[in-house]
Amino acid sequence: MIIRKEDLFLFFNRCISEKIDNYEEILLPKKNNQKDEKQFYFTKYNSDENIEYDLESFRTIDPIKTLFYLSRENVSSTSLHSKKRIVAGIKACDLKALNILDKALINDDFVDPAYKKLRDNTLIISSDCNRITDSCHCNLVGGKPYSESNYDINLSKVNNNNYYYIVVGSKKGEKFLNTMKEHVAVNKAPQDVFSLVEENRKDILEKLEKQNKKYYHTENFDELKNSEEKLWIENSDACVGCGACTNICPTCYCFILNDETEAEKFVKVRSYDSCQYHGYARVAGDNSPRPKMHQRFRNRYLCKFSYFNSNFDTIGCVGCGRCIDACPAEIDFREVVKKLS
Amino acid sequence: MKNPFGVISGKVFEIIQESPLIKTLRIRPEKPISFKTGQFVELSVPGIGEGPFAPSSSHFISDTMDITIMKTGFVTGHIHKIEVGDRVGIRGPYGHGYPIDKFKNKDIVIMGGGVGLAPTRSLFLTLLDEIDNYKSITFLAGAKTPNDFIYKDAISKWREVDKVIFLRTVDSIPEGQKWNENTGVVTTLLEKVKIDPKDNPSVVCGPPIMMKFGTFALKDYGFTDENIYLSMEKKMYCGFGECRHCVIGKYYACKDGPVFTYEMIKNEEAIWE
Ligand SMILES: Cc1cc2nc3c(=O)[nH]c(=O)nc-3n(C[C@H](O)[C@H](O)[C@H](O)COP(=O)(O)OP(=O)(O)OC[C@H]3O[C@@H](n4cnc5c(N)ncnc54)[C@H](O)[C@@H]3O)c2cc1C
Ligand code: SF4
Ligand code: SF4
Ligand code: FES
Repeated sequence: MIIRKEDLFLFFNRCISEKIDNYEEILLPKKNNQKDEKQFYFTKYNSDENIEYDLESFRTIDPIKTLFYLSRENVSSTSLHSKKRIVAGIKACDLKALNILDKALINDDFVDPAYKKLRDNTLIISSDCNRITDSCHCNLVGGKPYSESNYDINLSKVNNNNYYYIVVGSKKGEKFLNTMKEHVAVNKAPQDVFSLVEENRKDILEKLEKQNKKYYHTENFDELKNSEEKLWIENSDACVGCGACTNICPTCYCFILNDETEAEKFVKVRSYDSCQYHGYARVAGDNSPRPKMHQRFRNRYLCKFSYFNSNFDTIGCVGCGRCIDACPAEIDFREVVKKLS
Repeated sequence: MKNPFGVISGKVFEIIQESPLIKTLRIRPEKPISFKTGQFVELSVPGIGEGPFAPSSSHFISDTMDITIMKTGFVTGHIHKIEVGDRVGIRGPYGHGYPIDKFKNKDIVIMGGGVGLAPTRSLFLTLLDEIDNYKSITFLAGAKTPNDFIYKDAISKWREVDKVIFLRTVDSIPEGQKWNENTGVVTTLLEKVKIDPKDNPSVVCGPPIMMKFGTFALKDYGFTDENIYLSMEKKMYCGFGECRHCVIGKYYACKDGPVFTYEMIKNEEAIWE
């Protein structure tokens, strides 16, 4: 199936104004500033024609977790209200990250109720990357610049044409497509469309490969564990331990729990924490398993490439490159992995 | 959907000052909380915070719970200000406790130091409740000075039980304090133990330094790595495997522990710190 870009946005518009299927909110990437091409962030859709939404570039600056796993959240309440919503324009790296969070937060041992609620009430529309930014490196960690599963709907922009090729990935997505058909024109895809999509995907993948050639590293990440301490000290030298890298990482979800109890109710609030902070693992008597910065720096790499693997059967880096952009010390994650593995 | 952060409210009905820094709170929760000895709970002080603590009472009791707490910082400082009648919150129990089924018909050695006597008292009391199931219990208890010893009043009663050997030691005896039992670190008590370590279980719980040297001493004595049970103290928030603070390599200390065999964790990093 294909849909014209105008029709998709027309549908978004009607969805909100007419509360079609009870959707109350649509979030999608918006260009921040014409001059700075790196700046896309998720924002609530509104019908103002001057706002330029962008489903086809690269990932947003805000990681997908900020829409599902909030930086600060009351987790005690059992009747957490959450709007029925659509998140559109999710890139493959973020979708992969969301999938990791699903394993970490909804599993046989426990379910994080706040996360589950937001997850259940959201329709996921992913879209292929048509451009890349300097720090993008999904191809180094087993990823691709387009999604092949875990979406409700995937959109691939067809080059030079003003329409999207639609793939349905779930029952929820199928229902959504049917609703869409009732309101706007959704047409049968012409024969050659998939080859156009493939061509486009190949083109972006090639760009990624070219960009990251100099960072090619082993896929036997266990080697990170065996690297000499000296190398970790050297490579973490510029790190100031600010925690920007973990805060912006779509797969980091460590939290602290605060007690904000009032009157007769116990209230627990969880907020992001960072393994880069000294207090993170400190226990009574000021003992800590990682008192030095280079040990905490190393912990992030081992967590991503080793601990996540044993916990969730997948490495914890999706190659979005956000930690590279966010680091005030200009530490390049790819480079460190290459040097230490 | 069950909220894993759900708290059960409870009232403190008795407080025992065990030593200058350690108190036992006796709590009656609104509804009974059953646990397995060696598991832990998150104890909240309303509006202040919470921390992980192992109940120190027998696991055959669920309508009340004793928790023995050392004052070491912010939350524990506030816990020490609690008065009889005050409200506290309990989440849990969490984790895996001591596999006491495997202790049946065995000679059991328990080594505990400082506030590490709390979880080991729970184990000890639980075993005492079914003492016929076990061959013997040897308890090796350590404290810095005689005044730091907790559960002082119960010792003579425990020593009267057949099949129980209860030895105590202090690191040193400051002037003005009386002591007529062993002096020296807790591992020196092992010299007085005469059991066959083969196929018998041993348990160690105490401050980090004692965990390390206690484990090595039990190994030297002849206990196998599978038969040395450690209760690991790591930073914890959630208690059930979500927040990642307690991660020890591939394990979560909260969910996979806090009780581990030495065999399980000996190859992981920084286990003693
Ligand atoms: C499984 C388990 C069982 C325990 N059982 C007991 C017990 O029976 N009796 C007892 O006295 N102590 C026990 N502890 C240690 C106790 O949890 C800490 O001493 C207590 O949390 C310190 O809190 P604080 O705020 O007073 O210390 P601070 O040093 O002020 O701590 C600051 C912050 O770090 C956290 N924190 C500090 N140390 C620890 C720690 N070791 N573990 C987890 N969080 C920590 C606190 O919750 C607080 O948020 C146990 C710890 C674990 C992991
Ligand atoms: S570690 Fe860096 S590149 Fe990898 S997923 Fe996290 S933020 Fe993205
Ligand atoms: S963002 Fe950079 S400086 Fe800050 S903690 Fe991460 S690696 Fe260190
Ligand atoms: S305490 Fe949160 S994961 Fe163990």
